[in-house]
Amino acid sequence: MNRCVLHKMNEAAVFAEDKLIAVGDIADTYSYAPIKAALNFGFLQRKEYVAFLAKEGYDIIDVRNEEMDKAYIEDCEVSHMNSFLYLPLRKLPSGELLIAVADPFDEKLAVSLTVKFKCPLKFVATSDLDITWMAHTMRGGFFVKEAVFSLMKKDPDSSGLITFTDSQLYFLFGFIGITVAMLILFFKPTFIAINLFSSVFFLFSILFKLYLALTGSKSELHEVVSKEEIKNVNEATLPVYTILLPVFKEDKLIRKLIWNLRSLDYPQAKLDVKLLIEEVDDKTLNAVRNLDFPANFEVIVCPAHQPQTKPKACNYGLHFSRGEYLAIYDAEDVPDSDQLKKVVCQFRKLPDEFVVLQGALNYFNKNENLLTRMFTLEYSYWFDYMLTGLETMDIPIPLGGTSNHFKLKKLIELGAWDPFNVTEDADLGLRVYDKGLKVGVVNSTTLEEANNEFFNWIRQRSRWIKGYMQTYLVHMRNPAKLVRRVGWKGFFGFNFFIGGTSFTFLLYPVLLGFFAMYLIFKWSFVNKLFPDWVLYISIFNFIAGNVLMIYVNMLAVFKRRYYELILFSALNPIYWLMHSRAAYKGLWQLITKPFYWEKTNHGLSKLSSTSQVVTHD
Amino acid sequence: MKKIAEKYINGVLALALLMYYLIMSWILHRTGYEHSENLFIAEKIKVLLESDEGNLLTLGTTFPSLVFLSSLVFTPFGYLFAPILASIAIITALFYMIISDFKSSSKIQAFVYVPVVTLLFFLHPGLIYAAISGRGVAAILLFFYLVFRSLFRYYQTQTTYYLSMASIYLSCLIFCDYNFLWLLLAFFPFVVLVSLEGLKINKDQPAILQYFQSVNNVSQRRKLANRTVAIYIIIFLLPFGAILLFQVLNQTHAGNSTYFLTSQYANWHVIGNVPIGEVISNGNAKNVTRQSQLLFQAYVLLLNPLLILAFFYYKGKLYELLTLLAPFILISILVINLQYNFTIEYYLIFLILGLLGLTIYGGRKFGKKVTWFLVFSVALLNVFTGIYYFKNTDDAEERTFYLSIKDYKNWLGTKTINEEFEIAAYVSSIATKQNKILIDDAAAFKVIAHLKDLNGVVLPLNKSFITLVENPIAGTRYILIAKNNNVLKTFSVLNAYNFKQMLIQEKFSPEIMFETEHWAVYRIFKYNKEMQIDALNDERLKQTK
Repeated sequence: MNRCVLHKMNEAAVFAEDKLIAVGDIADTYSYAPIKAALNFGFLQRKEYVAFLAKEGYDIIDVRNEEMDKAYIEDCEVSHMNSFLYLPLRKLPSGELLIAVADPFDEKLAVSLTVKFKCPLKFVATSDLDITWMAHTMRGGFFVKEAVFSLMKKDPDSSGLITFTDSQLYFLFGFIGITVAMLILFFKPTFIAINLFSSVFFLFSILFKLYLALTGSKSELHEVVSKEEIKNVNEATLPVYTILLPVFKEDKLIRKLIWNLRSLDYPQAKLDVKLLIEEVDDKTLNAVRNLDFPANFEVIVCPAHQPQTKPKACNYGLHFSRGEYLAIYDAEDVPDSDQLKKVVCQFRKLPDEFVVLQGALNYFNKNENLLTRMFTLEYSYWFDYMLTGLETMDIPIPLGGTSNHFKLKKLIELGAWDPFNVTEDADLGLRVYDKGLKVGVVNSTTLEEANNEFFNWIRQRSRWIKGYMQTYLVHMRNPAKLVRRVGWKGFFGFNFFIGGTSFTFLLYPVLLGFFAMYLIFKWSFVNKLFPDWVLYISIFNFIAGNVLMIYVNMLAVFKRRYYELILFSALNPIYWLMHSRAAYKGLWQLITKPFYWEKTNHGLSKLSSTSQVVTHD
Repeated sequence: MKKIAEKYINGVLALALLMYYLIMSWILHRTGYEHSENLFIAEKIKVLLESDEGNLLTLGTTFPSLVFLSSLVFTPFGYLFAPILASIAIITALFYMIISDFKSSSKIQAFVYVPVVTLLFFLHPGLIYAAISGRGVAAILLFFYLVFRSLFRYYQTQTTYYLSMASIYLSCLIFCDYNFLWLLLAFFPFVVLVSLEGLKINKDQPAILQYFQSVNNVSQRRKLANRTVAIYIIIFLLPFGAILLFQVLNQTHAGNSTYFLTSQYANWHVIGNVPIGEVISNGNAKNVTRQSQLLFQAYVLLLNPLLILAFFYYKGKLYELLTLLAPFILISILVINLQYNFTIEYYLIFLILGLLGLTIYGGRKFGKKVTWFLVFSVALLNVFTGIYYFKNTDDAEERTFYLSIKDYKNWLGTKTINEEFEIAAYVSSIATKQNKILIDDAAAFKVIAHLKDLNGVVLPLNKSFITLVENPIAGTRYILIAKNNNVLKTFSVLNAYNFKQMLIQEKFSPEIMFETEHWAVYRIFKYNKEMQIDALNDERLKQTK
């Protein structure tokens, strides 16, 4: 390693020799400046570093307020500036080029920049975070455009930029028109037909979920990768693993995030962790700046561009990712410590066609309030049973928000995430199948923070349901093509699991209303609209559907031994009404502002993941 | 060749058994034997498919629903034969399942289990009865087997799937016989012990000490209670949900949430279960005296030595043993409020339980030859105890069945025509759309089952029935009356007593057209004093109280 500030710190006995060697290796592996490796791989605390520079006579300038000559910056690649942490500012009257750098002692950088700019240089010290911010915001334009439009250019049929295609609109309005006309001309039979269709669909979609849950429960104890295998993994053979952490105004969670990352059982030098921050998100950037312990992630600043969505940030981060595999986590996530090793082992065992593995998600604050309990039940059956069921039946799996592990090359080939889709993960999972590849499930859990506040929950859920609707519309643009790609089983699975989920939530209050009108209020006009046999079928479907859904919720407690939650499953009808509220909000937003990302506030829980670890049985 | 034989042996044997049961059912049919439950189901299917009214009520409230629905599948083979075919198919499926389970458990060699199970299904009179009587026993046995098999699989794999399957099968079992709902209490001991298994307590100690340890520690006690409740709920939610649903449907469509349990139009057991008092007063009571606490359990063990053998293999496996004992607890619960004579299904479930028990651990203690000798001789003994049961049964229809099968000389003789068939033939010959006949199928379901069609028949599910009972002359020409000696007369409005009241009220004048021992068909006319006096002087009506 060439001489740099770390050597000076070593000489001053504030940076250990072994760390110096380790940093050198990382810098060589990733082609980073040593200071970047030290600051981003948990070797050096920013505050300590600033103090050392000050002691050495370097003031830290605020590069954002410096006068700049854009011509010099335009000569530089963003990835190069990002890796070596420099930013050319302007020519000084003395003829020297003023360059802001994170490490003014970096000899190798000095040589390479002298060659590059062919003039004498003058280094001023600045914060690495400010260089990163400036480099990305000023030179990241191309990449951010790629992040937004790449999928649309490469595979326009899979892009959600257009919510409704012309043919979908013709179909939709045609269908509504015919239904209205039929209701005007033949009110009763049309009403009966709609009612029958709705209630049969309701029951069938729940039966399908029950079937999936039962199929999934068959293999609940199946371990593709054993603990022994993980223990015997040769760490030298492990590949570089990129972790993307898209955040927006999550300043309160940064400390937690670092601790969670530190608990991962994976060689630190092989963890390429990217904290993806939006250009406008100074809060999070400052939180990173003010950390009083070393950070183990690299900050990537995503330049402002609409739509301001998580997938756009992830796509942007992909351009700077170095790993063979890539995982997405949220800031508050607590993955099982052996998750990454498990994924690597499982990928090695699975056929090549498996390009994504979905980890199970669950909550560390499950007992916080009623909402978190219901949410925990839902996630438990979804990730522990449903997804396994889908995998077993070879039906497209919609990926969950986090803990997705990809083969990076394949992810790029697929066109990565759709920035116009607000459940880009679900969409990507389906696109994987659409391209003849597969999604698997890894038996490892990531604990998250369950939404514990009603309106926050509605916002989050409305986005998810809107995203499911978007995903459904995108993939049903050409149903025949979808059938060809995923087969009839996949097609029906997709319709009932993705389309059916949203539709069922929209339908639920309507069916509940009819049920209440007839059975509770005994309104006589309902009799006219429900001949005996229709009433029989409707009541059967409605009660059976509700009981089965409660049952599916109850199943959820077994794998994780959350037995104390089982009685809360009985409240599922109320939980579903909340879903319906969110579904109507999502539907409205799908029409009025389809790309709007309803922000979910995190960090509201009064419980911490560590307290959960203690009490977790 | 040997491999092919091994692969297809189960299928071939099941097919042979199917053929055997078909032949036996044909023979039984020739002897004139028809079980009343078979005819009840056949009648409901006929009403469902041929009547213009009340189809939904029939479809939605007939109970046991699964017996009815499974019979419905075989309707193309004839209404009367459909329940029998359904039973045969179900018992054959059960046979196939049991030998497949023996095969997959691989603890007992093929040369032991194949002949033993085959011997039982071919020769045990109870299993033959379950297959060819057309009763719902076959479905009860199948789902009983599946419930317990799922529980044992849960113990082996600890996957929730098998608990869920147990719950689904239990729902089916309850919809074959409502009494099995009481397994709710019978399951309690082993559910607690299974829950105990999941706790982090000293497993080397005896179960009672583990239990002591768990209830005396707040955390463990909470976990024990939570797990027990969870397992309970996951097993019983579906059955309870299904019952709730069925009750709501009965309430909305029949005006009574327990219609499926209490109405003679919906449930054969309302008319088919023989009260204990009636059995005793008939003077034939043999079994019924054994239907008391402990005696019944002892008698069951006597009848099912295979179960005793199975218990032998469960030594030291406490909660699995308690699982096998759960049906005994069920019987204890049922006996508490015993009102009816237990029929064969409550004995046969223990035979099935014995076989299930053997599929799990059978053959682990002895060598091949000893096991073969032991299992085969006990199974043979089981066949004889089955015959013993039928010799001593207090159920008249079971006794008739046994005599019909036993008397093999009559098998190929002249086909016996029963009373209901005769009445039905007469009704079919007179009833037309213009000359309708009023029949109450609560008692006359056997007659309806034998009718060619329902043209010209007015039944309780017809909206006009109540009006016509009040004033028969307004829309019917004939009326079928259950005579005083008809045991089902109290279930029907059209019995001799009510008929006499109609005559006293001078609503019409009757003329007897056709009668058998238990039934009479009257033609009715406008009131005529002379005819009325003749009718009231008739010996048949004089006896009416």
